[in-house]
Amino acid sequence: MESTLADLEIATFAVDEVVEGTQTGWSDRRLTVSLPQLAVGAGEPALAEATVEVVRPGDRVRISNVLDVVLPDVRVSDSSVHRLAGVAVVTVCDWLAAGYTDAQELPTSLIDMGGPASDRSPWGATINIVLRCVPAPGADAAEVDSAIRREAWRIGRELATVTADLEPTETITVGGAPGDAGLPSIALILQVASEGPLVDTFWNGEPLGVFEPRIVAAADVLSGSLTNGAYDWPGVRNVTADYQDSALIRGLQAADGSTLNFAGVILAPGYLDGATQKRLAAGSSASLAADLGVDGVIVTTFSSGNSHTDTMLTVQECERRGIATVALVCETNGGLTDHVPEATSLISTGNEDELVEAWTPERVIGGQERAAVGERIAAVHFVGGLVQTGDARWTAVPA
Amino acid sequence: MDGGARMTVVHYLNQFFAGLGAEEAADQEPVRLDGPQGPGRGLAAAGIAPDVTLACGDDYFGEHEADAMATLLGWLDELHPDVLICGPSFGSGRYGYACGVLAREAGRAGVPVVAAMTPDSPGVLAAEGAAYIVPTGSNVAAMREALPVVASLAQRLAAGEPVGDAESEGYLPRGLRVNVLSERTGAERAIGLLLAKLAGDVRTEVEPRGDRVPPPAPVADLAATKVALVTEAGCVPQGNPDRLPTRHSNVWLRYPIADVDSLDPDAYESVHAGFDTTSANADPNRLVPLDAARALEHARAFGALHDVFYTTSGVDTPVATAARHGQEIAADLRAAKVGAVILTGT
Repeated sequence: MESTLADLEIATFAVDEVVEGTQTGWSDRRLTVSLPQLAVGAGEPALAEATVEVVRPGDRVRISNVLDVVLPDVRVSDSSVHRLAGVAVVTVCDWLAAGYTDAQELPTSLIDMGGPASDRSPWGATINIVLRCVPAPGADAAEVDSAIRREAWRIGRELATVTADLEPTETITVGGAPGDAGLPSIALILQVASEGPLVDTFWNGEPLGVFEPRIVAAADVLSGSLTNGAYDWPGVRNVTADYQDSALIRGLQAADGSTLNFAGVILAPGYLDGATQKRLAAGSSASLAADLGVDGVIVTTFSSGNSHTDTMLTVQECERRGIATVALVCETNGGLTDHVPEATSLISTGNEDELVEAWTPERVIGGQERAAVGERIAAVHFVGGLVQTGDARWTAVPA
Repeated sequence: MDGGARMTVVHYLNQFFAGLGAEEAADQEPVRLDGPQGPGRGLAAAGIAPDVTLACGDDYFGEHEADAMATLLGWLDELHPDVLICGPSFGSGRYGYACGVLAREAGRAGVPVVAAMTPDSPGVLAAEGAAYIVPTGSNVAAMREALPVVASLAQRLAAGEPVGDAESEGYLPRGLRVNVLSERTGAERAIGLLLAKLAGDVRTEVEPRGDRVPPPAPVADLAATKVALVTEAGCVPQGNPDRLPTRHSNVWLRYPIADVDSLDPDAYESVHAGFDTTSANADPNRLVPLDAARALEHARAFGALHDVFYTTSGVDTPVATAARHGQEIAADLRAAKVGAVILTGT
């Protein structure tokens, strides 16, 4: 898992409008998409069907059975990525309707484009290219998932390619020279879990599985090396877009040299099975941070439940090494899932059990089953709203 | 809003603020008065006029709490108020306690309640988070400041309108945590929090909640006690005939064990999705310790083993659901005259 990129330039192109046309193209922040051109799922033997449609903020539409969100981008050189902003590719698959009974554990997973819960997922505020896939009969779930993820990236690339000769709205550079030695040095411990098909996280397309904490290049994370294939609790799901556009990496990079030195990213495993495994991994992450010579770390959390113990043990190990620590965790109606006395600085990403007002949309994309139409449903069912990577704005306060 | 035709507003006061007398009237039994009394007139001026005022002497409430509450709750049941306002009781201990108890019981019965008192009033603890409590100063001088806040909250509660978080609305936290959209992303807040911590300013957005369950009294006579086995380990008969959810379970089940001495691995399994069940399924007695319990029963270590065991899968279960499971199972156990439980968790 060595770094392949020292520096990376990400040029973003803001999209104000997406219209449908016969050719994919660009004109003055307006993206034209050819839906039939984009929907070529027949090219994937594991998919029986793939359809693409565009939904916009304010549409009275609920997207159900959401798997992932990918930002459209394309690598234009070894050190440069072009990325669209304000538009996302949302993948959808109704596993249960296709007969995958193992998927019954996957919770209801929604994005509302309108109605009272449209702000519960950050992806209710983007123009979404929804890729809805139907598995080929008898296809292996991992192969179907792999095909869906490939299609999402392909669509993203095709859309972002229109920016080849355009002036970006904004450009950021990740990497660069070491900062001012007088500033506090800070690393990010990015927790992910990879537990098998439909609950995996991928590095350069391969499932991470059980892995040792390791240092990775921030540029690799932002350029698409880290991708999501874990479809557990949607509200606290790290969608691929949260890696591509990691608010923590961007924030630390932006502050690098002015208020802090960004020392790097440690990729750490969560959802480990046993107490010993958890303690060892937490200790390894903290030792890597100590090796980097940092003064402080920010620890993210992956999903709900079990992984909160990995987070808390990591906080404990870091603090015991004299490294100041802040962790991001979601809450439940019962409070925190786990806590250690050393966790004195926590960011709350919201209460996952809070019930959200019922809504009946005019249309559901992704299947009526598990769409919770007209039902009050917990905030944790809205994709990415309570994500513990720092990419959302919800927080819980006393009431 | 006038608290008249469209809504019913009820106000609770002690004998003094209801104009019934000072200490000499402290043994006043509950009384029901029409319209606003005392501070109720201030509430009316602030936009919410009480339709009915209930009052009780401080001593009477303290010495006859059950009787006083029965009368007061009976009136509330009759009146179906859209909102109940208690106090302000300021720093008064007895009056504050009465306000807190009434607020708690009315709140649990589904009546929106606003009270006002000092943050250290015994009424705050007595209310147990069932009411919006506006903090006040210790004496009546704080009335002018408190009433508009009370009135504003009461108006919106009566109208079924949303109320914001404790800090922005000016009430004491009720032990709940509600979601709000921050101006800044979690990332921006985390970086700020860490830089502040490194500069010596340690802050947090969330503290652990002390949800401690006090240990019950020891079982008085174990030899005469019926003992039950309860588990959240997802232990069910092979094949999961009743389809216990493997996670975020919203049900609990019970299975007969009257004629069973040990859980055979061919007959029972765990469907719990939160741990590797391989070892547990090799010997389900390690999930539900029936073999050991039967041995103890035969050795007369306790009276008898209950003839069913209770099971659910405790993973990803919202706390409210888990609490309901606990209450329902406990009710079933009580009905079966079970006096002790061995609860196994994973």
